[in-house]
Amino acid sequence: MGLSRWFEAAPRGDVSVAFDREGERSDADLRRDVAALAAVLPGERGHDLLLHCEDAYAFAVGLLAIARAGARAVLAPSRQPGMLRELAPQLHGAVLDGDVPEALATLPCWHPLERADASASCAWDARRLDRDAPLAVLFTSGTTGEGRRVEKAVRHLEDEVVVLEERFGAQLGPDARILATVAPQHLYGLLFRVLWPLASGRPFLRSALLHPEELAPHSSGDAPFAVVTTPVTLRHLVERGDLARRRAGCRAVFSSGGPLAADLARRAADALGGAPFEVYGSTETGGVAVRQQQRGGEPWQLLRGVKAEIDPASGCLAVRSPFASTAQDGDRFVTGDRAAFTDTGEFALLGRADRVIKVGEKRLSLPDMEERVRAHPSVADAALLALEKGSGEPRVAAVVVPTAAAWDAVAADGRRALAKTLTEHLAAHFERVLVPRAWRFVAALPIDAQGKSSQETLRALFAAESPPDAPERLAAARSERALQARLRIPWDLAYLDGHFAGNPVVAGAAQVHFAMAALAELLGAPPALASLEALKFHDVLLPGQEVALRVECEDDVRFRYSLADADRPQRLFASGRGRLEPRR
Amino acid sequence: MASADGLEAEIKALIVEALALEDVQPEEIETEAPLFVEGLGLDSIDALELAMALEERYGVAIEDDPDRNQKIFASVSSLAAFVADQRAGAERANA
Repeated sequence: MGLSRWFEAAPRGDVSVAFDREGERSDADLRRDVAALAAVLPGERGHDLLLHCEDAYAFAVGLLAIARAGARAVLAPSRQPGMLRELAPQLHGAVLDGDVPEALATLPCWHPLERADASASCAWDARRLDRDAPLAVLFTSGTTGEGRRVEKAVRHLEDEVVVLEERFGAQLGPDARILATVAPQHLYGLLFRVLWPLASGRPFLRSALLHPEELAPHSSGDAPFAVVTTPVTLRHLVERGDLARRRAGCRAVFSSGGPLAADLARRAADALGGAPFEVYGSTETGGVAVRQQQRGGEPWQLLRGVKAEIDPASGCLAVRSPFASTAQDGDRFVTGDRAAFTDTGEFALLGRADRVIKVGEKRLSLPDMEERVRAHPSVADAALLALEKGSGEPRVAAVVVPTAAAWDAVAADGRRALAKTLTEHLAAHFERVLVPRAWRFVAALPIDAQGKSSQETLRALFAAESPPDAPERLAAARSERALQARLRIPWDLAYLDGHFAGNPVVAGAAQVHFAMAALAELLGAPPALASLEALKFHDVLLPGQEVALRVECEDDVRFRYSLADADRPQRLFASGRGRLEPRR
Repeated sequence: MASADGLEAEIKALIVEALALEDVQPEEIETEAPLFVEGLGLDSIDALELAMALEERYGVAIEDDPDRNQKIFASVSSLAAFVADQRAGAERANA
């Protein structure tokens, strides 16, 4: 049942559409919630309503109600204040779960699930949605930084859902539960996490699946499920091993958002009983092609209805697709990916065209150099980027995940020895000016909210003075008075330098510093400290450790903090309390 | 005026700062060691940036003379000597 016919389809009563730890939401719940929200939304065509929900069920309610009201959903990629302030002047309102951000305070805002009149009947007239009506505005994540707006009509989305069900429906079976790690704000999550499950009657997990442990409560025993994720998150899921215990229920794993390394594809296949389905596409084109890597490097097969060729001017893949929002139907969309076709009409991707840069008049393909970095025995994974420094001439910078053995060497000899080794390794293959000038060593490549290792997330590692003086943040939650974060102490933390060469520990002062940085974040300003008391250092904190940092304000002046083992909260590393200068 | 040692230390700090060298402390740069390719491993873009930084800091003029520049940029010690020479010349001219 396609999106355009959702409002004329027969209600399915108690059938589950979404679920979380607390329970199930039924088709009847969904229809009631959509009706209640649609009744209060401004109903003029051309109205733009921002839609941003963490809860995929709330998102579905919001999107359906906006469609019903005849408005257009602007799917902001985040609630980052700068972005919201920029969008606000063109918006007629916002549909959000959670608190209303300051930047939207002047707009009418609705929570999709907190309607005053929740008993509103859903006795709407069974009208079809206009397939050509613009439904959603999405934003490309943009490798160059600036996100572009892409508009999708109802038909772009529902036509792709039909093709996905055709291609994968039998694989999933009728009752697989959909567990996604990606946000519905982006096309991949919008289609795979929300619209396809809705159309095919498969229940979807409301919250984002962040850790494999979360699989357990949602799928008892061998209950069938499918995972919708990205390469970076898939690596976490596979490494934690919990997925493997549930392989009997795993019908399919989908990976999109970036290239999936052949070795990871193989390990995922070993753990889950089948190679992940990789989906190649973009916000502009929608889904383009799919593949499963068995040996590694298998070519891509076009999805039904999609046509593609090589654009002679750029050597890049050019796509014609019913799912692509191009200026006119039948228009070509030239991607930024270099490609070559095989005799059988499949194609191989040869890397991003915009990842060929010029440094000192010399051309460099970043993917080629990445391959060379990864080939070094000390390197498990690597990503390169161009950094523009003072003079405007870009220089190459490298983010490297060392192997376990190389981490031991970094711990013993410091980060500089590894940087030097890798510099010499690359200098043997590349012109001197092309060799990376800055190195960051991390336990895993940084990812953004979509699970992508974008140029932005990589660049952030170089924004501060080097080397890093803050732990990597893995997760965080805050309330008005408390902030809690899961952190990982990087092996190349600046504060390790000089502390027991060959046996680095995190200095006590650094631990207090982490706590004060969190306090500043909680207060929204650097704290005016009156005193720090009862500072205790209970156990030695070593790099590589994951810690739970908690900072809590007891009232306007008193606060306390603690750093504990993230997996064993009773093991404390540091604690203390303090007082702030009273606010005037 | 800075002593020869003081000038060399200043130039080492300038190299680290102007070229945003990571993992290098100024005092670790050897005064007599080659700056380019071997030794510190600087490259042609660094040479241009370093020349600009020297001109800005010390008001020296570095001409487009590859052979001469190769000698000037050979090491911290040769750079310091060049800067000191230029300054001495400027002082005589002003006297």
